Amino acid sequence: MSEHHHDHDHDHDHEKTVKPMVDEITEFEVLEIALRELCIEKGIFTAEQHRIYTEFAEQIGPTPGAKLVAKAWLDPEFKKLALTDPIEACLQVGVDWLNPTGSGTISDFHALQILEDSPTVHHVIVCCLCSCYPRPLLGNSPEWYRSPNYRRRIVRWPRPVLAEFGLEIPDNVEVRIEDSNQKHRFMVMPIRPEGTEGWSEDQLAEIVTRDCMIGVALPKPGVTTNVKTKTIPAIRPVGS
Amino acid sequence: MTTASHREQKLALISRLKASYPELPEWTSGDMISSDRFWAYMKCPQDQGGQLSAAEPFLEKEEEQWELMTYILCEVLGWGGVWVSEERRRIADVEIGLSVYFGLPYYFRWLWAATKTLVEKEYISWGELTDRLVEVQDRYAGGLNGQLPKAQPKFEGDGSNVKRNRWVADSLGKGDPGMYSGQAGPAKYNVGDRVKVRDLPALLYTRTPEYVRGAEGVISRVSYESPAPEDEAWGREGDRPEWFYIVRFKQVDLWDSYHGPESDSLQTEIPERWLQASA
Repeated sequence: MSEHHHDHDHDHDHEKTVKPMVDEITEFEVLEIALRELCIEKGIFTAEQHRIYTEFAEQIGPTPGAKLVAKAWLDPEFKKLALTDPIEACLQVGVDWLNPTGSGTISDFHALQILEDSPTVHHVIVCCLCSCYPRPLLGNSPEWYRSPNYRRRIVRWPRPVLAEFGLEIPDNVEVRIEDSNQKHRFMVMPIRPEGTEGWSEDQLAEIVTRDCMIGVALPKPGVTTNVKTKTIPAIRPVGS
Repeated sequence: MTTASHREQKLALISRLKASYPELPEWTSGDMISSDRFWAYMKCPQDQGGQLSAAEPFLEKEEEQWELMTYILCEVLGWGGVWVSEERRRIADVEIGLSVYFGLPYYFRWLWAATKTLVEKEYISWGELTDRLVEVQDRYAGGLNGQLPKAQPKFEGDGSNVKRNRWVADSLGKGDPGMYSGQAGPAKYNVGDRVKVRDLPALLYTRTPEYVRGAEGVISRVSYESPAPEDEAWGREGDRPEWFYIVRFKQVDLWDSYHGPESDSLQTEIPERWLQASA
């Protein structure tokens, strides 16, 4: 880092008073820019490929996953498809797993399984090796999902960890952890909660939060946000 | 500017970064290293499951522009046939070493893996990289003035002679692992079979978590055919695919100290080479 990043406890005040506030480029940014320029100059990839992938990456998020769950709750035939041929079912909520390259994304592969919760089994997903996650369907994983804290503990102390998310699973329900450590990607299909009789697909989709599809929360009428909302801010956030 | 005093400060900071057992000297001889310690040092840092950890708050994070751009860079390098994603995982999540694994941000590991692979596979030289780092740093010497930094390639190169792997063409329209379908022969295990995970001396790389090695479980799904990640991680081509299985374990079989209900379970996916039949 540049000089004003020294981690001496004493120089914080010193910096503020003496140094001008300069928004200096970070080592991370310099390296990414340098590599991208060299790759394009050498024809390793084209600026057009980079643009196409950026467009793809900027639009992914949990909306298609929520729509898929809501649709499955309302349509038993679609639910059957979602459980037996999830990649095909995803097309109906606007997700083509072969996008954006014709081979799919590079890191998410082309093998999806939807884990259906039942009155006797509750599923939770994790990748103890890093951050495997169904990006095309749910967007990027949250920071905590990638953290050693979650990865170390959820496989070994699942019920205490779920309790930290405010979720207590009764002892007569099996907690089944799905460690997605290879090419399969997983998403949880929770049980449709009571109090949603007569709801439309859009209404239902609103309560299927990202956390519900990871398995650290259950859908509940009136709850449309994730459990943990405290956010580490970015210095220069996407699109700023 | 680097002065003698600044150099000393930098070295003092570096001296405090430790990556070894505190009870052992920094520079050991073989007689100090038990087998368990040897494998602790050799363990892939990526495999975090089951390690001891205190509860900490679960946080969201706003994404930095460079983080999104890094993700895209790595994916587009795959699209360009420079690597398969398992090579990135080997470099970013294992070869990076424990101190950087924990010490620097998640996406820096991706960025470092891209850098290393581009140099190691001779797409760019160390000199070209270093000159460009200096150039970009100088371009923004006066600060960013509220703007995001921009890539400014001098021209678009002709990529026709760039060396590319077979993955791009072979996976087109099929995806991965669909591209390997029908190549592994019959699957050795069926759903319901009891299996034991082998405890192999996994040097360099593996995706079979430590916490299931030696444990018994039941085949819950015959997944797909694919080369094993331990081979894919090196960008090898032409290895025979093998069957992968989702294996279900009872938590009480995985952990001596599991206090939850007997019915709690864990599933994970394992290639055939790591499994053996169990009575």
